[in-house]
Amino acid sequence: MLAFRSEAHLDRWLDDRGHTRGATLSVAQQWELARIWYRDRMSPDYRRRSPAEAEAVFASIGLTGSFWRLT
Amino acid sequence: MVERVVEDNAVRLFVYRFFVEHGRPPMPVETASALQVSSAEVEASLRRLADQHLLVLAPGTPYVWMANPLCALPSPFRVRARDRDWYGVCIWDALGVIAMLGSDGTVTTTCPDCAEPLVIDVRDDELYAPDDRCVVHYLVPAASWWDDIGFN
Repeated sequence: MLAFRSEAHLDRWLDDRGHTRGATLSVAQQWELARIWYRDRMSPDYRRRSPAEAEAVFASIGLTGSFWRLT
Repeated sequence: MVERVVEDNAVRLFVYRFFVEHGRPPMPVETASALQVSSAEVEASLRRLADQHLLVLAPGTPYVWMANPLCALPSPFRVRARDRDWYGVCIWDALGVIAMLGSDGTVTTTCPDCAEPLVIDVRDDELYAPDDRCVVHYLVPAASWWDDIGFN
């Protein structure tokens, strides 16, 4: 998961390496995902999310489709 | 079985709390001393935690590489928070360090294409990104992240 200055920079980086484009997020989406994902990590009650729970987190910030599928 | 799960969670919690207090993960012997168990028990517990993807060990060792979002090794994703430098293995984890610590913080990375610095601030839970055009890219689909957690 890398951050690029713009879509143009990402496209050039992908072309240079022959990589296929995966999925893109805005920085705001990435911050929201980080907040949801990690805010309780130091809690004694923390437990790893099930695949379905993780997919629900992704969907809550608009990340849907086969790229985000875990089940 | 229930008792073992409790012990593993105690090890997990100790690793995270030690990491946050000292800026590095504990050695197994330090965890063993604190929890009053043997190093062998701690190492077995760390392996179970790694098998469950609750932390990541350096390959072939009992040493913690990642207690996500914290990464024990320097990476291109440096985080400044609580008057200390931290590292996340990716942009998700770098922002996750700030989220987990519940503090203000700054993520500094570089654009992989042009090497220009990208600085992202979080203050009072609000994000301040350098440019609206900045974009995060995930190369590997979610189902394959744990195939090679150091490369995503």
